[in-house]
Amino acid sequence: MASSIDDLDLKALVAAERRNNRPNWPLAVLALVISAVWIVPFYYMATSIFKTTEEYSQNHPLSLPASWHPVIENAVTAWTNAKMASGLLNSMLYSTVGAGLAVFIAALAAYGLTRFDFRGRNLWFMLIFSGTVFPLQMYLIPLFFTYQGLNLLNTHAGMLIFYTAICIPFPVLVLRNFMNGLSREMDEAARMDGAHELTVFLKIILPNCWGPMTATFLLQFTWIWNDLLFSTVLANKTDVRSIMNALQTFQGSYASTGPNVVMTATIIASLPSLILFFLLRRHFMEGMRISTV
Amino acid sequence: MAENSQETDEQLLDRIGRDVLLAQERKRGVLAFRSAVMFMAPAAFIVSAVLLFPVVYNVYLSFTKWKRFKGYDEFAGFGNYERLTTNHFFTEAFANTAIWVAASITLPLLLGLGLALLLRNVPGEGLFKTIIFIPRILAPTAVAVLWYYVYAPDGIVNWFLGLFLPGDVDIGWLYQDNTITPSIIATFVWQSVGLVMVLILLGLAAIPRDPIEAATIDGATPFQVFRHIVLPLLSPTILVVTILSVLAGFTAFDLLWVMGTSYPGQRTLSLAVFMYFEAFQKGSWAFGSAIAVVIGFVVLSVTWIQALLQNHIDKMTK
Repeated sequence: MASSIDDLDLKALVAAERRNNRPNWPLAVLALVISAVWIVPFYYMATSIFKTTEEYSQNHPLSLPASWHPVIENAVTAWTNAKMASGLLNSMLYSTVGAGLAVFIAALAAYGLTRFDFRGRNLWFMLIFSGTVFPLQMYLIPLFFTYQGLNLLNTHAGMLIFYTAICIPFPVLVLRNFMNGLSREMDEAARMDGAHELTVFLKIILPNCWGPMTATFLLQFTWIWNDLLFSTVLANKTDVRSIMNALQTFQGSYASTGPNVVMTATIIASLPSLILFFLLRRHFMEGMRISTV
Repeated sequence: MAENSQETDEQLLDRIGRDVLLAQERKRGVLAFRSAVMFMAPAAFIVSAVLLFPVVYNVYLSFTKWKRFKGYDEFAGFGNYERLTTNHFFTEAFANTAIWVAASITLPLLLGLGLALLLRNVPGEGLFKTIIFIPRILAPTAVAVLWYYVYAPDGIVNWFLGLFLPGDVDIGWLYQDNTITPSIIATFVWQSVGLVMVLILLGLAAIPRDPIEAATIDGATPFQVFRHIVLPLLSPTILVVTILSVLAGFTAFDLLWVMGTSYPGQRTLSLAVFMYFEAFQKGSWAFGSAIAVVIGFVVLSVTWIQALLQNHIDKMTK
């Protein structure tokens, strides 16, 4: 035994171990170079918003700003010229109410799909879930016509109806899987005691579903917040359009005096979803995970 | 007692009456169905009215001829589809879309896989991961606005190239036919590779260490380990990631719409943009819905292939 340990080249073993734990410098440099490609555009955006239009056009795009003051003027210009107040309010309304309603309606449907025995359950699920199978382009023209006929074009109600609808199918899939995993003992007991189905849903099932409901709510919130296409088609007027529509219109118009102002508008438009992400990162990651499984 | 216990199920059924039991059973089923429908109705109704009805209506529209001011439509058979084949804007848009699909199958996956493997061997993995993931949180519109200026003639891309190339570099990346699609694809990859990388890292973390260690002890090179152990175990993740990228790339609109604003041939950038152009700027509704049907056809085929492959992989792993 002793001899076999002596046979081992201890020094070589330690060296090999150290080699494995030592950071691999060429790879680390490569990682640094790659992350520069990701950081430089952000650095560019972050410095540009502190420049006046003159300063921006005369200096190198990556130069440091002379002072931080111009950001206030840029923000005021962006805020008024891009009419960001109404865009932000509209998007806030669409995102919170649309995603909230959608997740609640989806939870109702998932309850119906998991807590009752009836024939054709799969068919009902397929009917609701098929809402995510088609590309968005197939909805545009018919919705535009139908909305025109029903006087829903350029209305908050019209936008909310669409956003709610498009956000229902995915949470149904997630919540159905989740509720299937919930034990039925508790709700059976409540039912024996004569509780109404709605009471069982609200008092027993819903409180147990907050995790996946928050995760799907955040995903759908961001989807609505980021949407440009449907606001462009269905609500182009200033007082109903979404924030991304306001941003896109501003960038393409003469009202944008310079890239520094447009970049400031971009940051203002992105702040709400960025803040939400950093506050609720865990739920977001959970959402990303369940959305691909 | 004794008699009762010897009674078979058949006899019991005869005594109580088969019909009564069946009726009870059916009644319970009807009641359950009625309650279930109460819960499912809102979702089923909204989805049918706002999403499924438009799809059917779109297909119908694509077979009609639309008179712009009369709002009068008549059946046109495959007329709109025949027009597609002779429209050179459509051909160009289709070719560009094909480039998008090819790029979104290969680039996010290769880069995401490379980044995932790289970051596992580098200190400060968490920080790098966050940096590469951040663009994903931004709206495509915001990313497009940012990169619109990054690609500007006096923007940072040209400045960077100027460090290596002689003279003033002022390439109009977003104005020229041969650079605009690759440029926007690069932005697309810049934004989407973070999620791909995170998903691949999750997939890598789920791979058991034992077979890898066993193979290493048996003298397998890192490449052999990767090729014969890691890659096969990673294939479900790779499939999901690829399909997500293809669908995102195929229907990309926001990036092309914002970054292509000053490009004269914007309508040919992709089928999604071409469809918007025809329908909402030219008012060719029926023609536009035919393009939408073509897009739908391709997307459904991709989803169908995914389902087949998923089945295949599920069978292999079981």
